Amino acid sequence: MRQRIASAHGDAQTTDIAASERDRRELLRDGFALGSAALAASSIPLWLSARDAFAAQDSGDAEILQNAINLEQVAVTAYDMALSGGLLSPAALRVARRFRDHEQQHADALTTALTDLGGTPPAPPKGSADVEKIADGLGDAKTQADVVNVLIELEMAGVAAYHDAQAKLVETRLLQTAASIMASEGQHLVVLRRLVGANPVPKAFETGAI
Amino acid sequence: MDIDGFLRDPQSRRRFFQRSGVIAGAAGGPAVLLVACGDSDATPNVLTGPDESDQADVEILNGALDLELQAVAAYKAGAARLRGSMLEFAKTLLEQEQEHADALSAAIRDAGGRPNRAKSSYDFPGLRDQTDVLRFAVTLENTAIAAYIDALPKLSQGELRATAAGIITNEAEHLAVLLDALGSDPAPSAFVTGKAS
Repeated sequence: MRQRIASAHGDAQTTDIAASERDRRELLRDGFALGSAALAASSIPLWLSARDAFAAQDSGDAEILQNAINLEQVAVTAYDMALSGGLLSPAALRVARRFRDHEQQHADALTTALTDLGGTPPAPPKGSADVEKIADGLGDAKTQADVVNVLIELEMAGVAAYHDAQAKLVETRLLQTAASIMASEGQHLVVLRRLVGANPVPKAFETGAI
Repeated sequence: MDIDGFLRDPQSRRRFFQRSGVIAGAAGGPAVLLVACGDSDATPNVLTGPDESDQADVEILNGALDLELQAVAAYKAGAARLRGSMLEFAKTLLEQEQEHADALSAAIRDAGGRPNRAKSSYDFPGLRDQTDVLRFAVTLENTAIAAYIDALPKLSQGELRATAAGIITNEAEHLAVLLDALGSDPAPSAFVTGKAS
């Protein structure tokens, strides 16, 4: 396997992200002949540190689970902030409440799986760098669309992290659980994209790549 | 068989899996997902040589390809009953299923196998109107998701698993749009398993 960018802590550089995406796409194309979707100039995803840690090379199942739990807890916090921000319509509030509940269910299921492996669940991410980034992103929001776009970015980061984890996880049920959670995040994306008038299903392969 | 019968009849669903070469494991709802998913013998095959795991991958990928080709045929057959934005959407779905089929075919060839072809005809239930088509499409998407999730851990290559997961997520997105068009909750469960919830 080719070298993969895996900085477990802190932010990677924009160029690193682009290189990482390109590398991944090349790997996929080699083995799987993906279509020729152009790689967009990369913006720095808000959730990069969480995603990077999640996808880090040489992670064992337990470590991947811990990072996945962290990502889901961050997502719960993000939806909480969106719910209390005062910018969502009643319909969007209903959506956000349900998706917050889904993210919590993901965190709970992953926590059970981690405990079964003998691992220790991570501390709540309150005050973490990721939560601060979300708070900044949502703090700048002026409209419902701004809020929803932050949530879309969050869900995309989740999809990307679970996508990368497929190559790293070992245990059968974890692979399946991760895929079913990834698919749930994809369904969230459909609803959120529609809220901002975007194409709900833009790509045949939903890998979380921007 | 009418569409209600098709949806109710577990044998019909099962035949899909058998036709695809991907036999579903024990049924289980999403609530017991962690316990119910997967068979213990489904761990990646690390003890056999590359030839054997390639062969196993080819079999799994051809099973998935059968389902994708069937979905392409179904969306073609259903298009005549669709109108306006749903017709446009069905074209997008059809194109995306075809992209999955193309990627699977390429992966099968890369693993030294021969991709299955589409059948000359499929035994679809009667599709009288848009609702029939949408409901049948929901069944097909759920069937595909369940089959892929069952097959996923059996694929020997991490990159193949990742691509399969990208397809599963895309099928889940199709499902969300179809459910929404039927007036149902587009994201009814936190765990998308393709099994009845």
